[in-house]
Amino acid sequence: MGDADVKLSTKRIVIAGVSTRWGSELARTLQRRSGVGEIIGIDSAPPRMDLGRTEFVEADIRDPAISRVLPSLEPDVVVHCGIVWYPEKGRPSRALHDINVIGTLQLLAACEKTPGLESLIVRGSASIYGSAPGAPAFFTEDMARRYPLVTRFQRDIGELEGYFDNFARRRPRVACCMLRFQVEIGPGLDTPFNRYLSLPVVPTRMGFDPRLQLLHADDATGALAAATLNPVRGAVNVAPDGAISLSRLLRLCGKSAIGIPPVLGGAINRRVGRYLGSADLYRDGEFLLRYGRGCDNRRLREEVGYELAFDSEGAVRDFARTSRGIQALFQAPHPGSPVRSVPR
Amino acid sequence: MSGPAAPTPETVLEWASTVQSTSDKIIRRLAGEYHEDEWGFDEEFAEAVFPLFDFLYSTWWRVKVEGASNLPGHGRALLVANHSGAIFPFDAAMIATAIQKEHPLPRWVRAMVLNWAFDLPFVSYILRRLGGVAANPANLGRLLEEDQPVMVFPEGQKGFGKPFADRYRLQRFGRGGFVEVALETGTPIVPVAVVGAEEIYPKLAESKPLARALGSPYLPITPTFPWLGPLGLLPLPSRWRIEFLEPIDLSGYGPGASEDRSLVFDLSEQVREQVQEALYRGLVARGPAFL
Repeated sequence: MGDADVKLSTKRIVIAGVSTRWGSELARTLQRRSGVGEIIGIDSAPPRMDLGRTEFVEADIRDPAISRVLPSLEPDVVVHCGIVWYPEKGRPSRALHDINVIGTLQLLAACEKTPGLESLIVRGSASIYGSAPGAPAFFTEDMARRYPLVTRFQRDIGELEGYFDNFARRRPRVACCMLRFQVEIGPGLDTPFNRYLSLPVVPTRMGFDPRLQLLHADDATGALAAATLNPVRGAVNVAPDGAISLSRLLRLCGKSAIGIPPVLGGAINRRVGRYLGSADLYRDGEFLLRYGRGCDNRRLREEVGYELAFDSEGAVRDFARTSRGIQALFQAPHPGSPVRSVPR
Repeated sequence: MSGPAAPTPETVLEWASTVQSTSDKIIRRLAGEYHEDEWGFDEEFAEAVFPLFDFLYSTWWRVKVEGASNLPGHGRALLVANHSGAIFPFDAAMIATAIQKEHPLPRWVRAMVLNWAFDLPFVSYILRRLGGVAANPANLGRLLEEDQPVMVFPEGQKGFGKPFADRYRLQRFGRGGFVEVALETGTPIVPVAVVGAEEIYPKLAESKPLARALGSPYLPITPTFPWLGPLGLLPLPSRWRIEFLEPIDLSGYGPGASEDRSLVFDLSEQVREQVQEALYRGLVARGPAFL
């Protein structure tokens, strides 16, 4: 057991957005670790899975009352898992901007009033880098905003990263860590990309075969827990090693694809977009599925010290092995269901 | 049927095994069981396309190569070449083919590709599978740190799309970004002069309205393209000569050298002059363009 673990045994960790899949998974992972102190989860709705010794406090981060609730919990570490990437049950697309931007702003204001705070970890998104034809194949953390933020979700992420940077500058004693997550893949996940892969015939953009990085769901949770226990300052990409092209991914998953010519692209994308979540949000996916995106993960491996269990190809193979068949097609898993252990 | 043309049982068996191994390969690839590296380069795909390049190299363009062994057999290296072609960057393909055929330790050379090529359907992923990477300093630096050989065409679009009348006149070498990255990574620069690629598609003009209509960033007009449709894409059978010059060692300049503007421009100009001189030499050595 290292020094960091010993110190953490007396630390109180507050997880904002604990009822999201990622918040719940983080709570379950952290409480299994020896040497982690009290864990308190806050969210506007109770968690959908049993969180064991994690204490739940009902509070909405959009509500100014959070400025009284958070300091009263006396947290040493705050993990913000409440950033919503796409509509979920109880989180319609209209509310996303409110939750993502206003919610984060309120949470940061509450952190300002929390004197003992030592570190703040935010689960953000790599979509701040965008997807462009001439983009670096591996974005490093200093390359954010190199391309204009075109979709609503990107602008939300850009705005909240701006507030976050401001907070980090104003409160130099708090270690502020912004995690930029790549697209996740996993048998138990219910995300637009996983739903996209469960379509009977997968539409792709004709003539384009993007390079993608798929983060295994286990690694997503593992990296979040590692960063909570060892927060480094600034942004950190959470991305797997290597990359895989969409065509190879679909072949490994045994899916048939159909190339959509650009003339029909708009109409079909909107249909597919509505099925996957919301048409507007799916514009992120449209760019991603045309140009792809890769991120450099050296900071995660060397500074946070997290060893990734799967590379991009491994994550896809694991997904193909565990989700092939009827289950993936007809029985959409609950967003709150735990990740199944990998059969060896 | 009579005479020596009748295939022997051995050759029939050989064909059968070729057919079988090819179909096995196709089935395996359709299942996604092949390797591609983190840049999207697919060596098996490059090897499958190689016979076409080899035909263009040996028969169509009758390429002659000088000094292929000037490319180091291992470790990082930066090939800096003149650019032309107007429609397809065949000069890059032929440099890669020359290394495969003439170098004692052949390896696949990555190429820095103009950004807009990755916005074109089909072209984008074919280029990527053959080792094309979007041209920017971040990608170049990372490839060199992985000890890969990389080719760059610092003239970029200005060289690629220059009119036929300006053939073999090197254009400006941009901001010298390739020198900066080479200095940062301590990479030797190997200047390369390609003679012959200027004649394959003699560009007379370009059409902005047609380019806009097709959604392409640029559209050249040659004596055959677009008049003859796809047939106009057939390159003319010019005679080629590729010369690899002595490597320029940059490892002795120290860490801060890449920020020294005047040094970067001097080195960039030095490379440019060497390539230009080699082009003039190569034009004389090659003789007539087509015969």
